[in-house]
Amino acid sequence: MPITRRHTLGLVGATAGSLILPRHIMAQGKRRSVTIAVQKVTNNNTLDIWNEQSNVGERVFFPNLWEGLILRDWMGNQGPVPGLATEWQRLDDKTIELKLRQGVKFHNGDELTADDVVFSFSDERLFAGTEPAGGKTLYAEDFKPQNAKELPAGVPGVARRLWPALRGVEAVDKYTVRFHNATPDMTLEGRLYAFGSQIANRRAWDEAASYAEWAARPITTGPYMVEDFRPDVSLTLVAFDEYWNGRPPLERIRFVEVPEVASRVNGLLSGEYDFACDLPPDQIGAVNGTPGLEVQSSTIWNHRITVFNTQNEILADPLVRRAFSHAIDRQAIVEALWGGETAIPAGLQFDSFSTSDMFVEGWNVPEYDPDLARDLLAQANYKGDAIPYRLLNNYYTNQTPTAQVLVEMWKQVGLNVEIQMKENWDQIYAPEGDKGVRDWSASNLINDPITPLVVQFGPNGEAQQKRDYANDEVNQLCSVMETSVDKAERKRAITRLLEITEREDPAYTVLHQNAVFTGLKSDLKWKAAPAFAMDFRASNWTA
Amino acid sequence: MLKFTLAKLARALLTILLVMSFAFIVLRLSGDPAQIMLGPDAPQDAVDAFRARWGLDDPLWQQYLAYLKQIMTFDFGISMRDQSPAIDLVLDRIPATLALTIPALLLKIAIGIPAGIYAALHRESIADRGVIMFAIFGFTIPSFVLGLVLVLIFAVTLGWLPAGGQDGWEYAILPIATMSIGGIGIFARFTRSAMIEVLGQPYIRTAMAKGLPWREVVWKHALPNAAVPIVTLLGFMVGALIAGAVVVESIFSWPGIGRLIVVSVANRDLAVVQCILLVIAASMVMANLLVDFAYGVLDPRLRHGHAAH
Repeated sequence: MPITRRHTLGLVGATAGSLILPRHIMAQGKRRSVTIAVQKVTNNNTLDIWNEQSNVGERVFFPNLWEGLILRDWMGNQGPVPGLATEWQRLDDKTIELKLRQGVKFHNGDELTADDVVFSFSDERLFAGTEPAGGKTLYAEDFKPQNAKELPAGVPGVARRLWPALRGVEAVDKYTVRFHNATPDMTLEGRLYAFGSQIANRRAWDEAASYAEWAARPITTGPYMVEDFRPDVSLTLVAFDEYWNGRPPLERIRFVEVPEVASRVNGLLSGEYDFACDLPPDQIGAVNGTPGLEVQSSTIWNHRITVFNTQNEILADPLVRRAFSHAIDRQAIVEALWGGETAIPAGLQFDSFSTSDMFVEGWNVPEYDPDLARDLLAQANYKGDAIPYRLLNNYYTNQTPTAQVLVEMWKQVGLNVEIQMKENWDQIYAPEGDKGVRDWSASNLINDPITPLVVQFGPNGEAQQKRDYANDEVNQLCSVMETSVDKAERKRAITRLLEITEREDPAYTVLHQNAVFTGLKSDLKWKAAPAFAMDFRASNWTA
Repeated sequence: MLKFTLAKLARALLTILLVMSFAFIVLRLSGDPAQIMLGPDAPQDAVDAFRARWGLDDPLWQQYLAYLKQIMTFDFGISMRDQSPAIDLVLDRIPATLALTIPALLLKIAIGIPAGIYAALHRESIADRGVIMFAIFGFTIPSFVLGLVLVLIFAVTLGWLPAGGQDGWEYAILPIATMSIGGIGIFARFTRSAMIEVLGQPYIRTAMAKGLPWREVVWKHALPNAAVPIVTLLGFMVGALIAGAVVVESIFSWPGIGRLIVVSVANRDLAVVQCILLVIAASMVMANLLVDFAYGVLDPRLRHGHAAH
């Protein structure tokens, strides 16, 4: 082809243009996409934060899709940072007022207003007419559904667990909202950045023909929006360029469901996936040993615990439960089964409690002391009768091998514990037959010791509802934790709660902190958060 | 013939009813979907509301009668997981499974049967030994091992094919290969055995003694008589077209009916599991029915109620 003057001028113009254009605009066409292999995309086949309160849900929702008024600092101390609200203040012990960030766009182009916040905490969306503890619902007349949808049956109960006493949200003006609680609550701010308190677009809800249709493509304000969701197969998020906090660094994030560990690892090794999540600890070496790949480990805000059933004749004696606690060499479990890649926490506490000054310094798990355990059993006059241990097959990472190790450790001090394999949680909880010990985990949902101790072991917690445990003093202290606004009194209450539930009348014993392992290509400039959540915002991705 | 057909149809319907009833009872006795689906931390209010919404707190016999009534009107229920009609979820997945199982079945037939015939006709030869070795390898190696080995070779080491997923025709190659290899071995071995047995029959010797050409003896006398056990095997494999890929679909992350079974059973998504089992039972029963009719065509003695010798 002959080079004409026009061609030459065009070439020169293009070259000059490329030199003048700002770098970030040039980079706009170069965003990469990533494929992430996960064991499950969602458990319940929806993208509704209230219907998918699970670890796998946390991974696909936060912080890429759903956002709240206050955000969790995923890459930092998990403390609160401004999100869709720029500032907030307490009006009294029961009321908090928040100023909304102006100019925030939803994925459908709507601007975020107080109306969307009101809707996100309404009867129609969440509570379905359930009354708050200690009061009556406010503003119910404002929430008449325009297009009634049947909520999943479990949603109101799950919502009331996080917001037991919320009377309603008041739209003061277009950009100001007030949360009204029926009872004094020190943890309202914490509840606002917990899993579930994120904001949905009201118009999208009204326009959806059904709950299922809405929940497959919720309209939110996050940096990525749903492009395609194929239940049990994949979820593709695509960049939302009008995101209030800057242009997202990735074009697409594709979560693909690969249930088999070997298949996830093979896909990572073959280059098909950029990330492989939920790797068991025994795969870390294989992936780390492959050039171009690495494993990032994260201890997450979830502790593995063993729960005692005090209805059991033998376990009714606190001395026996204490013996269980002192017979466990936790460090050996962490070294042998986790390759030392997780930690033993300070009892049922999380480092994040220090952000609200509620961390009890000097507290720790019961020390490993087999002699003490034997002595306690002798004092309890334990005769070696069998104690059942209902066990699921690796619901938690390393669950079965941990159970086998525990049974041997208990055997060393004279405890006769018999594993009974079960298929699901209903069989674990079934009231028929003898119960003894079982596995559980405890999560820190808000940076306050109300979660997990009060929520899981208090009067309304699962442990008491399932009749595993009961203690009057514990219940009184839980009430203090839930309603007192005196920080010193609350600190005393949590200290005493730990003493009772971990030493005097044990409800559980902490084993170790949980951890997750993510395999990835080494050239990706991304860091794993201490959580299941995977942060793909610009602040955690340097191209 | 009408009596034969009606008897077979009645038996097929009874089989489907028994499968449905068995699935209904076993599923409900093996765990409450509310606790399983809502998780170990679900508050009691949520569990109670879930049970009430899905009628799980009614007596079992009431639930069973309601289920039968539903089925009579072709209402297969709603998924507890995402509130979609169960039948839609199931029908949505069947094409993906058939995209694997039909090509795999065709490969099994196209390679396994000729290989078995060839081995039988060249008994004790190297080719025969080779076919036997391949057959034993094929049907003894578990599909989850074979699948992973194929992935290791063709995806990880050579990088020729994807390791899993469903984004194009190339994604189906390894799953189809995994499913075919075992079936080819089974077909080859069955065909070889059936052919060897038939070739030893007196009527084959008679045909040879009459001076019929070898090719004609094989095609007209040996093969039709060896077909009955092969058709039986074929019936099993056709019946398993929908349900026969559970393991392979899990290994290759293939979104078919097998994956849906695993997930739905784990979550006790009752309507979906029952719907899948109904479809599987119907396909299995239908395949058996076709095999029974094929027997009648292949061996008229069966059609008229006489035993074959």
